[in-house]
Amino acid sequence: MSREEILKTYDQTSDNLLAILHDIQDNKDEHYLTREDLKKVSDYLDLTYGFVHGVATFYSMFSLKPRGKNIIRVCQSPPCHLMGSTTISKELIKILGIKFGETTKDGLFTLEMTSCLGVCGVAPAIMINDQVYGNLNKQRLYEVIEEKRRVK
Amino acid sequence: MKVTIDNQEIYVKEGITILDAAQEHNIYIPHLCSHLELSPYGGCRLCIIEVEGMKGYPTACTTKVEDKMVIRTHTKTLQQMRREILQLILSEHPSACLICDEQEECSSFQQTIRKVGATTGCRWCPKDGDCELQKVVDYLEIDKITFPVYYRQLPIENHEPFYDRDYNLCIYCARCVRICEEHRKSSVISLRQRGRFSTIGPAFNMSHIDAGCEFCGACVSVCPTGALSEKGRKWGGIPDSYNASICPLCDLNCDIQVLMKKGKVIGTLPPGDPHQSGGELCVKGRFCLTHIINSPDRLKEPEYLFDEGIGIVSWDEAVKQAGKMLKDVNGKRVAVYLSPNLTLEEILAAKLFFKDIINTSNITSSILNSNLISYISLSEESISLKEIEKSDCIISVFLNGNYNYAPLTLSIKQKAEKGTPYFQIGWIKDTTSRYAYQQIIPFPGREKTFFNKIAQSIENADNSSPEIKELVKKIKISSNPIFILGPDIMGLTEADGILKIIKKIITLTGSKIFLTNPYSNLIGLLSLIDTKSNEEINELISQKKIDLLYIIGDNPFQKRPPVNSIICQSPFPAPDYLNADLALPSAMWGEISGSFADIKGNIKKFKAVTNPPGKAIQNNEIFDRINKEIGKKDIKFTYKGISKLIPKKLEMRFPFVKRKPLKAKISPPNTSFPLLLIQEKNPHIFYNISLSNNIRDMREIVTEDAIIMNPTDALKMEIQNGDSIFVKSDIYEKIYPIIVRKIIPQNFLLLITSSRTFDFNPNPCPVHIRRNNV
Repeated sequence: MSREEILKTYDQTSDNLLAILHDIQDNKDEHYLTREDLKKVSDYLDLTYGFVHGVATFYSMFSLKPRGKNIIRVCQSPPCHLMGSTTISKELIKILGIKFGETTKDGLFTLEMTSCLGVCGVAPAIMINDQVYGNLNKQRLYEVIEEKRRVK
Repeated sequence: MKVTIDNQEIYVKEGITILDAAQEHNIYIPHLCSHLELSPYGGCRLCIIEVEGMKGYPTACTTKVEDKMVIRTHTKTLQQMRREILQLILSEHPSACLICDEQEECSSFQQTIRKVGATTGCRWCPKDGDCELQKVVDYLEIDKITFPVYYRQLPIENHEPFYDRDYNLCIYCARCVRICEEHRKSSVISLRQRGRFSTIGPAFNMSHIDAGCEFCGACVSVCPTGALSEKGRKWGGIPDSYNASICPLCDLNCDIQVLMKKGKVIGTLPPGDPHQSGGELCVKGRFCLTHIINSPDRLKEPEYLFDEGIGIVSWDEAVKQAGKMLKDVNGKRVAVYLSPNLTLEEILAAKLFFKDIINTSNITSSILNSNLISYISLSEESISLKEIEKSDCIISVFLNGNYNYAPLTLSIKQKAEKGTPYFQIGWIKDTTSRYAYQQIIPFPGREKTFFNKIAQSIENADNSSPEIKELVKKIKISSNPIFILGPDIMGLTEADGILKIIKKIITLTGSKIFLTNPYSNLIGLLSLIDTKSNEEINELISQKKIDLLYIIGDNPFQKRPPVNSIICQSPFPAPDYLNADLALPSAMWGEISGSFADIKGNIKKFKAVTNPPGKAIQNNEIFDRINKEIGKKDIKFTYKGISKLIPKKLEMRFPFVKRKPLKAKISPPNTSFPLLLIQEKNPHIFYNISLSNNIRDMREIVTEDAIIMNPTDALKMEIQNGDSIFVKSDIYEKIYPIIVRKIIPQNFLLLITSSRTFDFNPNPCPVHIRRNNV
């Protein structure tokens, strides 16, 4: 769906701002919002550019820089920390060869931190796009990443 | 309802917050983000309190009072917690002025044994001494910061007009963001990013001008720290006094307060508490007045044109020369130009002087042309600003609300936000456009036909365009529609015809009208003197029937007219090309007491706050002196004597104008001239100067003699900001610099001219452009 098609499915009320931004972002392989997107959304909802920019930069789920196809979010909350999320983070950095906030050169993975994913029962956990992977160790993590690499 | 605050029983209204209740009864609760004009935010957490029966420590600014509430505001725990919170805030705020051991001794300049003094002080904040943060620090008695301090090292933004921004001093109370959104309804700036990366500003670091900032200064007024500061009085310190006055820069004559220090005007603010008063003014009233009254260009001494050139003379000599010129001449061969910025007292004195003593009836003003008279004569149906509140449908016609008429645009925006349909007819995208139910751009080059269609559509529903149908439908169902007219309409070639149709539309629909004009006392000028039109006087001059021109604060000519002598009397020097024989410095707003009349004929008075610069004296005193020199009659021109003669109720009398049939042929853009050039006289004129020309910062936002172009058009033609382009119509061509801005739609060009006549005819005019160097 193009941006214009997405906009048309929503009413022109400012309550829809977050939903529209999510929709536009998810419809792109690179999972990000361009300046043009924000401009068009602000015109559509009669909001100012500044206001929409403020919202889009406040929420960490939105990005204004191109991201990878798979966004890996590593849980940083205490339960995961106790169960070894630091090891997971270090391992991810080693496997992918990127730091937090960066994207791999092939455009497949972006590494991000997140606060609690709500699955403390299976800590340590990560989330790749919409899916949660729990009870991770080095071996399991490696498998998950390999699987994602294979799908392409 | 009854509440107890700190063992003190008080009675308060229902529904107010605890902070408001405490402030009403002079109980101080420290706060930084809360502000009278803004909704509760709960950001700074300094106003935490204890309420019996409530868990934790609620903030006073967000908690509403309830009956029989028992509140404690100053317990030991609270103070300790506030200290911790404030230290957290201060850990990112430079604190030399707050907690330094040597802050009392830290003078800004110290004598040394070397030959020069040394600046040792590090108290360099523009808000030092007048800072809300300092007050809270004093109150909480903080003497050290236990947390590691961190300087954000953000670049200081001082490249934009009127105010500087140093966000290193910012405490993120978001007052500026909120007043821009809630009060001005502009939302130009916002909080970007989150956490410690937060910054404040327009989207993507674009400039404030591009983001649509009106430079109303509301954000500067409410800033509790020195993060935002006026360029004009950044280092001016704390004012000695605040004096009430009114703004002379347009016909709305807003109430203002003038900030004085050592007898000089250092700033102007909207009325009310200087730290609380928000953005009721426009950029002119908020920032420009100070610049004008303190302008280094002011005329300070009388100047006489000797054979050898211009020389400074004494007042006695100047009056003698003026007397000589006026004595020699026949009254019928004298023409007088008056500025529409003169006060009623000055106009009445001018009337007595020129009608009774000089015996001339050739009195005019450079703005009194036929279009202005058709425009201002619509005022019979006009309403006052307050009545806009009652309307249920607002239509603005060629209103350019950017940097102008702030109270008007604010009330339009407030009404439109509450759901009143607001239609904007015209090309220019201004601050109200975002709130428009519809912005209707008349078909280029067919403006008169457009208004005709509206009139036809009201009389009998026909097959006009859907947007006109919608407009007419909304006007018909509303009981109190209001048309707001902007002065830009006067510049159009077809203005007279369009205004006639608008009058017809108004009578057909029973609408009311609100006229805006950029002249502070045009109504007073038309009410007190029987004037002649500018065209009539110009004709007399070209027929060589005028020997002497007496110009008071006006600027009617582009070159010296064929007359024997010219006397200019103004706060500003006469333009060089005029070669005035005598220039007399007069006092202006702020230096005289006087009064202005509004569109309903009501009189608004204001008082002098300072003395004129140099040897400048009041206009009335100049008349008095010259009268004594001529010695014809015993009339007193002083303010006291004159003010008694002003009638209680003013009624306008319009000069007679001969209307010539239109010569220019109006045509829409076509393939060879695809763009429509709109010319607009710079409305920001005060006496004989243009604000854009005299104030550098104003020049940046309203640039004279430059073409404004839409970014999409510019991208298409690969033209950039600052390029020079060649504008060509079928009969005229000229080179202009380009400014790329969004205020004008695609396929239109906007030219704000410094001259009173337009180079391109007709207006609007189809043109084509190309780059100058191609």
